[in-house]
Amino acid sequence: MKLGLLIDLDTCVGCHACATACKEWNGASAISGPLADYDPYGAEPSGVWFNRVRHYEVGAHPDSKTINFPMSCLHCEEAACVSVCPTGASYKRSDGIVLVDQDKCMGCNLCAWACPYGARELDECSGTMKKCTLCVDRIYDTELPEAERQPACVLACPTHARHFGDFADPASNVSTMTRERGGFSLLAELGYAPVNQYLPPRAVPTVAVASGSRAELRGGESGGGAAVGALARLVARARAVLEG
Amino acid sequence: MKPVFSVILFTVLSGAGLGALALAALAEILAHLRGAPAAWPAATTAATAIALVLVIAGLCASTLHLANPRNAWRSLTRWRSSWLSREALAALVLIPVAAAYVGLHAFDMDALTPALAVPVVLLAWALLYCTAMIYASLKPVRQWHTARVPLAFLLIGHASGALLIVCAMATGRATGDAWIVTAVALFVAALVAKLEYWRFVGGRGVTLESAIGVPHGVAPPRRAGAPPQTVAARLLDVGHSKGTFLTDEFVATHAASMRHTMRAVALVAGFGIPLLWLATAFGIPLPGLGDGRADWRIGAVAWLACMIGFTAERWLFFAEARHTVRLYHGDRTT
Repeated sequence: MKLGLLIDLDTCVGCHACATACKEWNGASAISGPLADYDPYGAEPSGVWFNRVRHYEVGAHPDSKTINFPMSCLHCEEAACVSVCPTGASYKRSDGIVLVDQDKCMGCNLCAWACPYGARELDECSGTMKKCTLCVDRIYDTELPEAERQPACVLACPTHARHFGDFADPASNVSTMTRERGGFSLLAELGYAPVNQYLPPRAVPTVAVASGSRAELRGGESGGGAAVGALARLVARARAVLEG
Repeated sequence: MKPVFSVILFTVLSGAGLGALALAALAEILAHLRGAPAAWPAATTAATAIALVLVIAGLCASTLHLANPRNAWRSLTRWRSSWLSREALAALVLIPVAAAYVGLHAFDMDALTPALAVPVVLLAWALLYCTAMIYASLKPVRQWHTARVPLAFLLIGHASGALLIVCAMATGRATGDAWIVTAVALFVAALVAKLEYWRFVGGRGVTLESAIGVPHGVAPPRRAGAPPQTVAARLLDVGHSKGTFLTDEFVATHAASMRHTMRAVALVAGFGIPLLWLATAFGIPLPGLGDGRADWRIGAVAWLACMIGFTAERWLFFAEARHTVRLYHGDRTT
């Protein structure tokens, strides 16, 4: 098994619901909770999070696009965080999930250095390394209705930009979507073989826009032409999403 | 990467100690191989004793960076895959062996020492190499994932160790020219290795665009008929208002503003002053620096200067290392 997440950069709106749902579930979880908060009600709150959403702009204005980019542990097949761990606290399960045994960790930070993705964060209160558990205490919980046996981030996502499944099974939902929509690995050149995959934005049919309205777009004016162009793009995009 | 003082202190001090232990034991082995075991000067015993103290002090300092040192003993268990575990194991074996080696020399039981000299050399080299490989094995840090790192660690450790031995021998006015020549050769080799490393770290590595998947289609839609263009990416928002573990550990460093100062300190204090003193110890008269005879008190100052210089060098080793996590926080390239 290769359990992991498929993240759709086309539909992610960057609302951080996955990150807060993760913090909520795992903060109360017995696997590695509680997750420390530093100065939680002060001017500069900070703390341990397993899932962080960053926002990028690709391309140059006006032909640019905002990419909302959630990142959590990618549960790599070649998990260097596990091999560099001197205590054996970091381990990879047969279902692919990478975990940290909180009772064995000595807090040396070497696994965080070995992770190219920034998936691991040291909890200064417990002195141990913490990371995404893929909600191992949800996905196997037979007390939960079957539809809820998924990571908290997947359940919370309002735009269905996150999918959970077994990448070792070519017929699974995540394998199929990865295949059909050109899913890719982050920093594949480093050779960590991350299990989590990312789907690029769909190729939206481009709509011809009159040069005058493009100029208005650049000037920031909301002329009629720009509004029509934007509406046409929205319709084309909705159609592309509906058609898969 | 955040320069942690305890780790810097550990690598510099134990590097010098291990270099001195390895060189002293190696000299004994070579003398026996030549069939001419020389008398073991008390100064060499003193140098190896100081070296052992430096190694132990460095190892103690290294435990200070652990957030949960209660579990430090567990680091002896994963030597099959972890360089940090191998380092801990090598240190645990080296300390009693080296202590026995120094102790036997101190009590003039020289008949037993040649047998111990071989494991002392091998363990000291193993420990130096393991420490360097902790960094050199990390693929996300381009500046570390290179054979230049273990080479520089080994040469710098041996150079500062050789200086310690020459300095100790100068107390007895018995400074062997062979030791001075060895020390000079090691300093020159270490300097060349470090200059090559500094040349290497200036290059470019993985870009922000490739980190977020621009080559895989994470790009704006292309207008019909528009020519293909290189898509640049930039960070709009990092998603949190204050620093995180990741920004503290990987992003926040003063490397850019301190680079020239630290390199100057490393060159002058770490290499320049020791080489000048070694020149005077070799009998090359330098104006205002001596009469061509080695003065161990000036030598001790030169050795301290060397430690300060190598501390600056090691600070830069951490501060200049750019982890791929920095790309996701907006860096253009590693």
